[in-house]
Amino acid sequence: MPGNQGVAIRNLSRLLMLASPMLPVGAYSYSQGLEWAIECGDVKDLPTAKDWIGDVLASYQANYELPMLIRLHDAWQSNDLRKVADWDEAYQAGKDTAETQAETLQMGYSLRKLMQDLGEFPIDFVEDMAGIETPAFATIYAGVCVAWGIPVNEMLHTYAWSWAENQVSAAMKTVPLGQVAGQKILLHLGKELPGIVAHSMRVKDEEISNFCPALTIASCQHETQYTRLFRS
Amino acid sequence: MNVNSNVQAVFIEAPKKNEKPPHRWLGSIELDFDHDNERTFLTEKHHRGPLVVQKTLYPEGKAVCHGIILHPPGGVAGGDRLLIEARLRPKAHTLLTTPGAGKWYKANQLRATQIVTFDIANDACMEWFPQENILFNGSQVELKTDIHLGTGSVYAGWDILCLGRQAKGETWEEGALWQSLKIRRLGKLIWNEQACLNPGSRLMQSKTGLRGNAVSGSFVIAGDKVPSDILESCRAVEAGDDARYGLTAMNNIVAARYIGQSSQQARCYFETLWEILRPWYGQRASRRPRIWNT
Repeated sequence: MPGNQGVAIRNLSRLLMLASPMLPVGAYSYSQGLEWAIECGDVKDLPTAKDWIGDVLASYQANYELPMLIRLHDAWQSNDLRKVADWDEAYQAGKDTAETQAETLQMGYSLRKLMQDLGEFPIDFVEDMAGIETPAFATIYAGVCVAWGIPVNEMLHTYAWSWAENQVSAAMKTVPLGQVAGQKILLHLGKELPGIVAHSMRVKDEEISNFCPALTIASCQHETQYTRLFRS
Repeated sequence: MNVNSNVQAVFIEAPKKNEKPPHRWLGSIELDFDHDNERTFLTEKHHRGPLVVQKTLYPEGKAVCHGIILHPPGGVAGGDRLLIEARLRPKAHTLLTTPGAGKWYKANQLRATQIVTFDIANDACMEWFPQENILFNGSQVELKTDIHLGTGSVYAGWDILCLGRQAKGETWEEGALWQSLKIRRLGKLIWNEQACLNPGSRLMQSKTGLRGNAVSGSFVIAGDKVPSDILESCRAVEAGDDARYGLTAMNNIVAARYIGQSSQQARCYFETLWEILRPWYGQRASRRPRIWNT
């Protein structure tokens, strides 16, 4: 139906906006341990970059980020601010290094500021966002998706895609890798994405897992890495 | 010894929700520690089943009460359930450890569970330094730790996990692990670590995960903001060339992590960090419990 199609197309442009590296939240300034993985030689070319990013996508993103995002989306959807605050607290407490926690708080602050400045949302939602003292990026992201009528699976695809694109871009700058290599990795990750999103939607509360020890250690080491392009 | 212990058999109803009967063992222990006149002492001790605490020890003076939690059967089988609870009154300082490695046997499709709950009142300090947990091939293990902190109180605890009996050349080819550590201060969740793992997980071999290592450990201290010179000293500690390790500090939490091939090496790393951190969070030098030498 033309009406539904109108909604879908309007959503598409919103999704593209959220997914765009132009979204002014500063995602490009973080590498999440990847820069240290490159420094220590774990990631040195196309195959190793593809493995590192693909593994984090299939484990950390699939079992932590995306399942938490689903719960935040549900909480916003049911307009239960207590629940939003609880999942926000749990999500932040699960960020297990100083730099990853600083990253989500900075990006959460920036995304909320942007959404307030756009003047696009009903006052209730703006006030609800403002009511969270120091929200995580995922918390505001899920709230914006609910306010824009973006369904869960589309939100998950968009969120995971932006994350992957940002990681690939970090690898291209730092390894360095060429344009074609970067696109090859993205093409590969894009094929894995539907399976990863579907998996994340089946993860039960007790199966949520932020255990990804070498990634955590890479992020710890990055905090004191001598020369860095990316923020800590 | 001047320990005021009140031993009493109290039967706690085991949580039965969603559990597959029959339970093979329910072991529980509840300990209360109080502080008075510069001394920490055990005021209540309730236990059921195979978990017991040996008499309390004071190897570093009366301020810190050491306790050794024993599990005489030696190992935990599928369906077993162990509950360890301690409450620390204001200013109490307690160190709990175990006499040997925790052994988790082949499960026979039943999950074995250990639930540790510590309530640490204002200005109290709880140290939880169990020896490593060895997951036998085929084990299904749930390890849950819940910490509740008051104002100015400290939790310092480590856990070391060994997947498969290395001494026998065994690898962990079958089984499952659910592990969590949740720390709340005044009700607010400030640390939320949750692992869900099985031998088929991509994490097992991944360079971002365990990298094929059998041993992983973490050491978490929730207290005040760590001074930068102490953090620097911790960062300078080396665990070993073949291991991966690192340390971070945030939200008044210091967290160290290790992955490698040796639980001994993980222990050494954490003990060295403990030596550096103890004078800061516990106001006294670390002193190795003698039981660790046996």
